[in-house]
Amino acid sequence: MKIRAIELTNVRRFAGQTARIDDIGDGVTVLSEPNEFGKSTFFDAMHALFFERHRGAKAAVKALQPHSGGAPEVAVEIDLPDGRFRIEKRWLSRATARVLRDGRLIAQDDEAEAWIGAMLGGGLAGPSGLLWVRQGLLGLEPEGNSASDKNERERGLGARRDLLSSVAGEIDMMTGGRRLDAVVARVNDALSRLATTTGKPRTGGEWHRAEADAEALRQQEGDLATKAARLSADLARRAEVQRDLRELDDPQAEDQRRQALEQARQAQAQAAAHAEKLAEAQRALKLAAMTTDNTAAQILRLQDLSERVARAQADLARAGDDAARHETRAEELSQADTAAAAILAGAQAESRAVAERMARSQRAQLAQAARRQAEHLGRSLDRAEELRRTLEADRAARGLLVVTPRLLAGAEQARDRHEQLTAQMAAANVTLSLRYDGTLRVRDGATDLPEGAHVVTEARDFDLPGIGRMRIQPGTGAGGDLQAVDAAARDLADRLAACGAETLSEARRKLTEAQRLDQAVQGAERMLAELAPDGLDALRQAHAKAQADAGADAAPPEDHATLEAEMAAATRAETAACDAATQAHAAFLAASEARAAARSTLRSANRTAEAALAEAGDLATLAASLQRLRDDLATHQARQAEAQAHCRTLAEAAPDQGMADAQFKRMQSVVTQAQDRRAALREELATLNGSIGTMAEQGIEEQLDEVRGRLTAAQSRAARYDTEVKALFRLRSALEDARRSARETYFGPVMKELEPLLAVLHAGASVQIDDQTLLPVALTRDGQAEPLDILSGGTREQIAILTRLAFARLFARAGTAVPVILDDALVHSDDDRIEAMFNALHHVARDQQIIVLTCRQRAFAALGGDRARAVITAT
Amino acid sequence: MLRFLHSSDLHLGKAFGGYPEAIRNRLREARHGAIARLAQAARDGGADTVLLAGDTFDAETPAPDTLRHALRAMAAQTDIRWIMLPGNHDSLAATELWRRILSEDLPNLRIVTDDTAFALNDHAMLLPAPCTQRRPGRDLTAAMSAPTPEGCLRIGLGHGAITDFSAEEGVPGIIPPDRARLSGLDYLALGDWHGRMQVGAETWYCGSPEADGFKHDMAAGALLVTLDGGAQVDVVETGTLQWRRLLLDLLPGDDPVARLDAELPAAHLRRDLLLRLQATGRLPLADRSRLEAKAEAIGPDFGWFDHDFGQLATDTRPDDLDQIDHAGALRQAAETLLAEAHDTALSLSEREVSGNALSRLYTLALQVQA
Repeated sequence: MKIRAIELTNVRRFAGQTARIDDIGDGVTVLSEPNEFGKSTFFDAMHALFFERHRGAKAAVKALQPHSGGAPEVAVEIDLPDGRFRIEKRWLSRATARVLRDGRLIAQDDEAEAWIGAMLGGGLAGPSGLLWVRQGLLGLEPEGNSASDKNERERGLGARRDLLSSVAGEIDMMTGGRRLDAVVARVNDALSRLATTTGKPRTGGEWHRAEADAEALRQQEGDLATKAARLSADLARRAEVQRDLRELDDPQAEDQRRQALEQARQAQAQAAAHAEKLAEAQRALKLAAMTTDNTAAQILRLQDLSERVARAQADLARAGDDAARHETRAEELSQADTAAAAILAGAQAESRAVAERMARSQRAQLAQAARRQAEHLGRSLDRAEELRRTLEADRAARGLLVVTPRLLAGAEQARDRHEQLTAQMAAANVTLSLRYDGTLRVRDGATDLPEGAHVVTEARDFDLPGIGRMRIQPGTGAGGDLQAVDAAARDLADRLAACGAETLSEARRKLTEAQRLDQAVQGAERMLAELAPDGLDALRQAHAKAQADAGADAAPPEDHATLEAEMAAATRAETAACDAATQAHAAFLAASEARAAARSTLRSANRTAEAALAEAGDLATLAASLQRLRDDLATHQARQAEAQAHCRTLAEAAPDQGMADAQFKRMQSVVTQAQDRRAALREELATLNGSIGTMAEQGIEEQLDEVRGRLTAAQSRAARYDTEVKALFRLRSALEDARRSARETYFGPVMKELEPLLAVLHAGASVQIDDQTLLPVALTRDGQAEPLDILSGGTREQIAILTRLAFARLFARAGTAVPVILDDALVHSDDDRIEAMFNALHHVARDQQIIVLTCRQRAFAALGGDRARAVITAT
Repeated sequence: MLRFLHSSDLHLGKAFGGYPEAIRNRLREARHGAIARLAQAARDGGADTVLLAGDTFDAETPAPDTLRHALRAMAAQTDIRWIMLPGNHDSLAATELWRRILSEDLPNLRIVTDDTAFALNDHAMLLPAPCTQRRPGRDLTAAMSAPTPEGCLRIGLGHGAITDFSAEEGVPGIIPPDRARLSGLDYLALGDWHGRMQVGAETWYCGSPEADGFKHDMAAGALLVTLDGGAQVDVVETGTLQWRRLLLDLLPGDDPVARLDAELPAAHLRRDLLLRLQATGRLPLADRSRLEAKAEAIGPDFGWFDHDFGQLATDTRPDDLDQIDHAGALRQAAETLLAEAHDTALSLSEREVSGNALSRLYTLALQVQA
């Protein structure tokens, strides 16, 4: 659609007039007129024509009526793809709407409204609502508190709301908008009542309550099932106990147990009596066996005694013979041992004599060497002692000399200084030289002046006893520093004292003497170190030791080789004699031992023979006793055999005592156990009766059945909530995905169109779209995002217009070209920006009709485009 | 001629724990009230004996008040003789139960504690087969072949399933269906099956006098038996609360709300009805939504109400999605969920979640539109 002409009749300030704009172009058309001309009237009139029904009487319609009244009329001529059309509307009085094509009426009133609606395709929520920009849109709000300022703010707010609502309406159409929000809100509300954000039952919610109920009932069911199982077990157990008690209380069974016990008792007694008989027989058998064994043992003992007497007598005879033979042999070897010992003693004496001579000869040789050493050391010691004495004297003398070359040099310098000062003083003053020949003295006040020179630096009076007074006047040139001369004299005296001299010549002589003494001490020390490297005391000790060693045997030494030969011969002779003596002695010792052994054997055999004979007594009586015992043994053996046969017979006939005892014990336990078990069962029965009675009173099974039913119901209820929550989560997820997808679908093309336009604000600028309001909320420049609210009014205004232009291009690309109408827009833009915006408008105007209404004639002169003029005629 | 009332399976003390407390109490009270209604039915039919063929009590150790109230109610019917046979729920193994009942020593109550025949009157003998255990594992009714005096009527009283009656999960019964013929019985009064059923000319299950589940879709009651040259059996209704399953098999084009309305009783009759509504088949999303809304609306009318639409598939059409939205994000979300609900590559549970989510979206979208 393109608007070609606009015609207003009796609208606001055009009361009784017709205002018409013709020849509106394809691209940018500017209607530039001063304020109060009525540009906004054109805007509002066109808005009413397209969006207010002709029968309507809303404020927007009444606002068109002039103060003088009457019916406002608006007509627009538009070009559509199928031709040019004229749309007319009259409101309030004789209201009508008409659509004409080439002057021919094609629709009127409601049909005309339907035609307009179809053409616009959506009314206010459609594209025109999105693209028409009213005056003051996004304008900076006045800050004053006047009524007009407030009204202005209200108008600005209203304009922005219009913008928001129109844009939101458009977005609603594409994204589901408020309906989707409402559905999501209800889903969230339902979920918030049931579940947490993680899909778990929410505390306090129905789902949570159902789960909690189910859990509580599950626990109850478990407890009750346990109790019911215990009750059932108790009932079964009670039946068993009652049956067992009936069996235990049966009289016939009781008699059987008693009879069996009596029989067992009798069998046990019989077995015990038989066992006693058997034990008696076994004791008799044991006695018989012992008697037999004793007799046999006596026989063996007597036989052994007889044999031992004979054997001892034979051993005694043999021992006597051996003892005599060993006596003889020992005596012979004793004599040979004595002879060998004498030979050995002679050889040993000879060896000792030769050795003694060798020792004496060696000592004589050592004494000769010691004497030579003592003489040498004595000389060294004498020389060292002398050196020591000289050294000690030199050191003492050197210790008295304190002068050093440095001290001497200091004294010489002090002397030079003193002489210099004295010469200066003498030259400048009068010198009084005194030499006394008698006892009279020149006196300076109370003091006698000594002989010598006295420098007089100022006028002074001296007493000449017996003569009078003498004044010495040095003259005007006299003077000088007498104190300095005195100080130099004191310094000289101090330095000479430090050198230990009174004069410089004495000091020099003492220094020379000191240097000579230093050299002498050093030389003596070196010589003493040569003579006594380990010290003088060590030398003295060595000398004393050499003297002691030299004082030994003074006899001359023998020939050493001769002594060696004699010594070797003596040693050989002694060795041979020693071997012979050793062998002889060993033979003697062996013989002595053999003799001693033979003597011992003889004594032992003698004692054995005597003991055997003592034990045996009379040998004939011994033989008789032995025979009698052999006769008794046969009798005892026969008796033992009889007793053994008797025992065997009894043992074979004996009943099983262990079995009889076990049977008796078993029967006793049967009777006892029956009694104990009866008592225990009765006790258990009482306990079971109590337990069963208690639980039966509680109606456990009924409770269990009820709880199981309630548990099933609660679980079913929880499962239904679970299903509901899953469905709600899935629904919410699907709705969010769809909304996200719709937004991307919606904003993708918008951003694509918008970004080149935003370059007029800043190269590379982009806007951020708010997810909830679906409107630009921030501008990003150089990577820095700035909220729209803090931007200047001009920038916000420019963003709003550029966004609309982007939408306009989108509509144009979709084949739905609709005009963009700007009513006093860009009022806040500076000169640079407004130029850039003009470029953007022309850029969009290549595909789009843009009608600009402005009162800023100079500023908008640069916009270019077609110029339209309103022609006003009276009606 | 002998006339008596045949009943069984009162299951006094049954807890009904799976139901809300209000209806649970009514259900328990209705079971207790069956005692008086049985006595009245017998009285009205001209009988003075009520044979209870087992499972009078639901548990082996009923709560003291359950037992005490039941015995007091029976004792109050002084003109009625109650003959109580242990069933599998209250078998002779429930020694504590029978000890407590016997200790009450009611003059008009006879407990059958063994299978010894005894006389109901001078010319009729009762041949009982009490359950010795919950699962005795043998045919206890063999004892009904015991001889009785010549000319006496022989009435068998037993509890358990019959041999060819295998509806209970294939568990083989142990009472021969021709026990009446085998043992020469004039009538065999059986218990255990909670619905009424005739097994043979002289063999009947009387069913529970007060229904306790949805399994048997019939009016609960007892049997008034007259033996006079043959067995004449008359049904006497004694139930107070009805249990009903309502199955709606639906297809696109059906009006599910109208179908449901047609099946429902009048509103004032719904309080004593426990209704389980189950829908199968498939419906468009809109119709399913209407059916769900209807179910939610009528639920409080009933003593108890539950619905199960898990087997009802949703037949989603473009029109349904149009009601969510013609385009835009809502429409896109709906189409995604619909695709998932029919995507066989997903697991069954995932498809169900997506289907449920779509159903919720449809409902919410309509609410938001409104």
